[in-house]
Amino acid sequence: MAVTGLFSRMTFLDRIIVLTLLVGAGYAFHVAAQKKDGSRVVVEQQGKVVFSAPINGDREEIFSGPVGETLVVIHNREVYIGRSDCPRKICMGMGHIHRSGDVIACVPNQILIRIAGEEKGDDRAYDILSR
Amino acid sequence: MLPFNRPIIVFLFLIVLAIIGLRQCPFDKPEMVQKSRILMDTVVQITAFGEDNARTIAAVDAAFAEMKRLEELTSFYLKGSDMERLGSAGSAEVSPEVARIVALGLEVARESGGAFDMTLGNLKSLWGIEGENPQVPAPDKIRTALKGTGMDALKLSGRKIEKKDPETTVDLGGIAKGFAIDRAIGVLAENGIRHAAVNAGGDIRLLGDRQGQPWRIAIQDPRHSTRFLGKLLIKDVAVVTSGDYERFFEKDGVRYHHLFDPRSGYPSKASRSVTVLADNAALADALATAAFVLGPEKGLSLLARFPSAEGMIIGPDGKIFTTAGFDKVVEWQ
Repeated sequence: MAVTGLFSRMTFLDRIIVLTLLVGAGYAFHVAAQKKDGSRVVVEQQGKVVFSAPINGDREEIFSGPVGETLVVIHNREVYIGRSDCPRKICMGMGHIHRSGDVIACVPNQILIRIAGEEKGDDRAYDILSR
Repeated sequence: MLPFNRPIIVFLFLIVLAIIGLRQCPFDKPEMVQKSRILMDTVVQITAFGEDNARTIAAVDAAFAEMKRLEELTSFYLKGSDMERLGSAGSAEVSPEVARIVALGLEVARESGGAFDMTLGNLKSLWGIEGENPQVPAPDKIRTALKGTGMDALKLSGRKIEKKDPETTVDLGGIAKGFAIDRAIGVLAENGIRHAAVNAGGDIRLLGDRQGQPWRIAIQDPRHSTRFLGKLLIKDVAVVTSGDYERFFEKDGVRYHHLFDPRSGYPSKASRSVTVLADNAALADALATAAFVLGPEKGLSLLARFPSAEGMIIGPDGKIFTTAGFDKVVEWQ
């Protein structure tokens, strides 16, 4: 076999170097994969973090604020406000977020939800939305 | 002499080591700090880049503190604020910051022929669009709420604001947020930050570029919340968008939004959306409201009177009008 032949021709130092390169490549892939799946959902009230969870696990959480309860839904790697006791329900219309740095909030209930984690660079179409 | 004869492998090995080493170096790229707060009835997000993470975080916190201080000065609903004191009196001595806001507001009011109006507090309360029970008021109530409003309803002498009619309610909603954004950027710069963005509910000011690249600011399509019309590639500038889709309610199939025409007392139907670029966010904020009320033709004329201003106005039929300077920085979708 060609691979066996190649291996038998390698010196001890060659093998060390090849092994180091393979381990290095494996580590790089591991780090890249971790960054891709490393986004977390962070919920803040009054500037303090009250909840944090990975975005890749479906769950629902209820938070209480000055005007009642707000239901935060994590589903299919997206986060949205499913229900809120606030009067205008503007927060429920803020849509789903999934990108690092994205924010939605229920202003009357003082609940802020953001996606934390590594940015994925060029796959972002824009930095900020003016609306 | 190397103890083995595999120069290519050694060369590759050194390259990999160098790449890994460089990726670990702190000077490779400044770290990004991104924090959000609920302030001025909206979500404020500050993004800043700095070499020293702790100093960048401290600068961002100081910027938030400055915005909170300004909220406490300008909010009508916070007891002891300049606006609350002015609300219950015919005149009041205000802070230097509020005086600067009012001076700029009066200038935009003058230049826009009254399309920008800081005296619509009673009218806004009557409609209650941002409150729990928005309503379409009776015409006579609208006429009453418009009494004591207009370009001549306020006078500023130094730091003293005088109302012609004591019943007039001053509302800085269309300009104070922009001013607070400007001050936040000022605080970041004073703390050594050279690359940052302050975004308060879509009203934005940028400090420097985004690490060697222009910031990419998307502009929302006023009729499709999940789409954007184009992307601005810009730096060191403020961007403010005002649209009829931001805060509104519908009754009998009619959309009533929060951008009022001071002449009629009803939400303006002259535009769908306006985006203004200017060298400061307070000016962009006030011009966006005024241009919305004026509509495409007069709105663009207004922007032309301010050297740093450029913009885009979407008319009621969806037709897009832009200034020449805006076209240079936009990448349409």
